[in-house]
Parts: sequence; structure tokens; C-alpha cells
Amino acid sequence: MSELVIQIEKLSKVYRLGTIGTGYLLQDLQRWWTTAVRKQQDPFFQLPDAQFPNATQSQALWALQNVDFEVKQGEVWGIIGSNGAGKSTLLKIVSRIIRPSAGFVRGRGKVSSLLEVGTGFHSELSGRENIYLSGYILGMSKAEIRAKFDEIVAFSGVEKFLDTPVKRYSSGMYVRLAFAVAAHLEPDILIIDEVLAVGDAEFQKKCLGKMREVATNDGRTILFVSHSMQAINNLCDKGLWLQHGKVRATGPVNDVVNRYLIDNQQLKTKQSWTDPNEAPGNDKIRFKLVELIPQLLQPDAPLDIRTPLTIRFQFWNFTDDILISTHLTLFSYNGDCVFDVASTATICQKGVVSGECTIPGNFLNDGSYYINLYVLKDTTINLYDYEQCLSFDLEDYRTNIQWYGKWWGVVRPTFPFFLTQTHMALP
Amino acid sequence: MGQYHTQHMSIRTDNKWDWEIGSKTSWWGTSLPDLWAYRHLASGLVRRDFLLVYQQTILGPLWVLLQPLLTLITYVVVFGKVVGISTGGTPPVLFYLAGIILWNLFNDTFTSISSTFRDNAQVFSKVYFPRLIIPVARLTGYLFNFGIQFGLLILVLAYYFIFQGLPVPDVKWLLLAPVAILLVGTISFALGLFFSVLTAKYRDMNYLIGLGTRLLMFLTPVIYPVGYVSEKWRWLVQLNPLTPLFELFRRALLGQGVVTFPLFAYSFIVTAVLLLAALLIFNKQGDKLIDTI
Repeated sequence: MSELVIQIEKLSKVYRLGTIGTGYLLQDLQRWWTTAVRKQQDPFFQLPDAQFPNATQSQALWALQNVDFEVKQGEVWGIIGSNGAGKSTLLKIVSRIIRPSAGFVRGRGKVSSLLEVGTGFHSELSGRENIYLSGYILGMSKAEIRAKFDEIVAFSGVEKFLDTPVKRYSSGMYVRLAFAVAAHLEPDILIIDEVLAVGDAEFQKKCLGKMREVATNDGRTILFVSHSMQAINNLCDKGLWLQHGKVRATGPVNDVVNRYLIDNQQLKTKQSWTDPNEAPGNDKIRFKLVELIPQLLQPDAPLDIRTPLTIRFQFWNFTDDILISTHLTLFSYNGDCVFDVASTATICQKGVVSGECTIPGNFLNDGSYYINLYVLKDTTINLYDYEQCLSFDLEDYRTNIQWYGKWWGVVRPTFPFFLTQTHMALP
Repeated sequence: MGQYHTQHMSIRTDNKWDWEIGSKTSWWGTSLPDLWAYRHLASGLVRRDFLLVYQQTILGPLWVLLQPLLTLITYVVVFGKVVGISTGGTPPVLFYLAGIILWNLFNDTFTSISSTFRDNAQVFSKVYFPRLIIPVARLTGYLFNFGIQFGLLILVLAYYFIFQGLPVPDVKWLLLAPVAILLVGTISFALGLFFSVLTAKYRDMNYLIGLGTRLLMFLTPVIYPVGYVSEKWRWLVQLNPLTPLFELFRRALLGQGVVTFPLFAYSFIVTAVLLLAALLIFNKQGDKLIDTI
């Protein structure tokens, strides 16, 4: 288990913005003349690097910058990061598709990459022809494909249409067949880029099941990119977080995923004012404090669907003998109101009024939410509406469910729900 | 993906690793064992291209023969009857057919290989295999087509030998026909590789290729024998390395053609230099092109 199979050292990839190559034959010839023949610096571009201090930073886009990490035999690495963080570039370099601008990748054993489902498929050819062709493209030998042919066909479930051109397949069948070929590769190191984005829920389940099987039973080394933190958490044991082409964190997958999620959560959890003149409100009401207090299970965990959330607020009331009530509404980020709860109504005097409301855990679905607070007089007249005063994200959390698609529904309550067997025999 | 083969061990010679990917692009590129490991892919691609061309056509693979036959009829009528270009002592049908099928081998192979990067950009950017597999498969496919057309030529030749009393060529010469075919194939392969890099970088090369091959055909003895070109301009035609090969091909099969050893040696050397240079450029530029396409 401890044997190193991939070593990545100071790996960098730089893309020049705009065209690569000057795009003009004349300029390219001129460049070739100066760099290759006269051994001088490129007259049209210089690497923005310490070696070339006079370089212009604005011309270059660093897809990867000094990435170092090591993979041991049998490890399953989840690579996470926002769009454009360099995840795909890293996979492409390890797959030998593109070359790095600097640094090295060293490795041991056969590498297969699955960066796209259906690479090498041709729509005019039959399913049978395509199995062979895409198998060859992915690096399988004729004997290997022949030996696995029945298994591939069974996995894809397209037996009846094996001799039909794949252009007449439904898109689901097409994807299933394509994945089936890839799933039967037997490399030492497998590289997978976001394959879960395709196919229906049932198919995703099948793919992930296959991946888990490959990872646990065969002890294969896997590098896996996904935007589904659930899938990463469940399938991987190590995490690599890339940000703007640099390694932000590596380590046990849970730690890395949590750090990533916390970093990405768009929290507006506390706002407070000491001077009423600067606080939001009007001549009747001014807010002093709004605060979201999550009751986290662990101090460094992100907010997830299990977390109970307490909303606490205070406002200055500038009127005596006034009947005040408040409403708290929770909106999902696409603007649907999830609920509207009303507080009790109380006669208040001039001074500070406080309120508190708790949203229980295991109630909301995962997603982004914001909160509006409304202060009312005599339970009907709006004194002040404080919209979007708090916002937060809830992460997904699942146990024992091998499915990573988006969970349906605005809320996700855990009502008592039981299944019992009542009869042992069929009629 | 196939076995990685050790490359660029210049920085650190460390036997712990099977492969290493560095920033240096290599002139030599793929090793022969690496290519061999992907032989099934090459044959699969040949098969695919063959199936694709004739799918949903009524006549199917018959087109391999129909295309040169229809061209032959056109040439016999236009150049033979209307314009009246002499074909020397050889019957026009044989003369043109030999020229057409050899020219087709050159033209089809060259044109198709020259678009390697543009046609395969999608696959190249998603999976690694030796890039050279694609041109190799294309050359193989067109050599296969040529084989079928060559069979047709042999049949027509046999008719002329048996019924028209055309003198049967010397066996010594006959053995040189495959040499001519192989060299024409190699030139088209090498030029194709070279232009595949150019077309990937500069789009306007596509137009140039179409125009260039049409012009080149007139500088190649396809529709006329070199012996009938005026002395003043013959050097221009003979500057073309294809010329001695076309003449050799006809000399071998039909017994008529102007080819001397120096001319053949010139062709051979140009072909060898072209092939070497094209392979180097294709390997060196191939990796860089993936960033562009």
C-alpha cells in the first residue's frame, strides 16, 4: 500500500491568452528564427516566471502553478475545486494528453483516462463496432475486449441493439454503452473526470457502484474529479483541493472537503450596529443586530442539512406603547418562499427589542437560503422590512444512500417512515 | 491507455519510474513498441473508415472501382479524343488508368493525412494514444483501396496482353512496380504529416492544399508521358520527385516510360529526407498542437 505510483513535482501549465502561436506564419517563422536558430528569447512572448523577470503577467493564464503531490498504490484521490481551478488540466497532463509547461509527472504502471464518456464513438457504426473501436482507443487489446465483450454488453443492457448504428440509440443507451466499455478497462491507475454528470439516477448509481467495486476490490489507484462532494466523500480516501492552479489543501478526504465547503459558503451570518444612525431602518425601527447561530456538531464542520439554526435579532424601537410583532421568512435562492413564521405580538416601550427563532435540523433541503425580517405594528402594518438580512448555504449530508443526485424538494424532513413485512408468503 | 514508455530521462535517471512526463517535447516521439501496442487501433480505424465511406451508398465498395473508371472515361474522351494528347505507343486506356490509380493513391493519402489534427481534435484532447496511429491508419486504408484498383489494372492489362498482342514486360521491370508504389505512398504520407501540422495552425493552408494538389497533378506525368514534354520544360516536370516514380510504374507495367537511375535516386533521396523531416516535425509539434486545436 505504501508504494508510490505517481509523483507530481513542481507541475505548471501556462496558457497564453488569446491565440496560442501568433497565428501568423510570418511571425512564427520570425520567432522560430530568433529562439531556435539564434538562441535568443522569444520576441513575442515570455514566461511570467522568476527566470524571466521582465515578463508580462497579463498575457499568461496559469492553469497550474507549482503543483506537488504524491499518490500511493491503491489510494483513491478526489480532486476538488471551483471551475477553472486546474482540475481538468491536471488530469490531462497525467493522462499525457497535454504537456506541462514546467515540472514533472512520474509514475509506474499503465494509466487509463476517462475524461469523457464515449470518446472515439462514431454515430454511424453499430454498437458492436463501437465497443471494439472505443476499446482500442482507450488502450485495450483485441483479446482483452473479446474476453470482456459479453460482460460489457450485459453491463450496458443494449443486447438487442448491438448491430444497430448508435445514432439510432437513445442518449441514455448511448451513454450506458460508452461507460460500459470504459468500466471494463483494467489499468493500474484510473483517471476519471466528472463522469457522473451524465445519465439518469439509476445509471449514476451503477457507475458509482462499479467505481467503488474497482477501488475497493481490485485495489486500483484512482484520481477522480467531481463537483459532487457527496460522491467524493464516499468514494475517495484522499482529497486534493486546487484553487487558481495551486494546491490549497491535501489530506484525508473529509478534512479537505469540509475546508473547501466552508471556504465556499456564502455566509452573511452576523450584522451588528452600535450607532442607530447607521443602522438599517427608519424613524420607528432600527436594527441593532441580526445573527445566525448554527449548532454545529463539530466546530470546524460546514453547515449541513442536519444543523439546527438559531436566528437572533435586536432592534431599537422609537415608539412607546406599541404592539409589535415580527415575521421571519426564509427564501431559497431561486426566490421561493420556504416558510413564513410569525412571532408573538407584544406591547413594547422605547428601547431595544430582542427576538429569537430556531429552525430545527433535518428539516431544510440542501441549498442556498436567505432570510427576510419584517417588523409589524398591530400585526398588520409594516413598520420596516429588512430583506436579505442573513444568508447561508446548507450542504448535503447522506448516510447509507448510494445515490448522489440532487435530492428533490424544498424541505427534507425526516418524518417517521417505517417498512415492515406483514406476510411471508405470496398469494 | 497504453503502456507509457520512458521518455525524457535526461533530468533524472531514476529506474524507480516507468514513465515520466516533462515539459520537453520530443523529436523522436513515440517509440516503435508504443506504436505496436496500438496496432489494433490502427486496424480498427482502417475498418471504420472503410465502413463509413460506403455506408448508406447503393453501390457500396464498388465505388472504389467506379471512381477511377469514370475518371478514365473522362480522360480518354477529353485528353485522348478532344484535346488529342499523345500517350506514346501505349493504348490510352492503359496509360490513363495506370496514371489515375497511382495519382489517386498520392492525392487521397496526402489530402486525408493533412487534416489529421483538425479531424481528430476532439479525440486527441480527450485520450492519449500515439498520434501517428491516425496517419498510419489512413495510409493503410488508401493502400488497401489502391490494391483493389491495381487488381482492375492487372485485369485490363491481361486483356491487352492476350487479345491485343501488347508485349508482356520483363519480370525484372515488373518487380520495380511495388517500389514505385511504396515510394509514392511514402511521399504522400510524409507530405501529409508535414501539412497536418500546418493546417492545424493556419487555416488558410486548407485552400492551398486543394489548389496545390491540382497544380501538382499537371507537373506529374498523369495524363501525358514525360517523353513528350519539350526539352525546354522537361526539367520542371522532372524536378517533381513523383515524376520518376510515375514513369517507373508505367515502364514496369506497360513497357513505356523515361526513367534513369540518377532520376530514380533523386526521387528516393527526396522521399527519405521528406519522411524523416516530417516525422520529426509531426512528433515535435504534435504535443504543442493539442493546446491550440
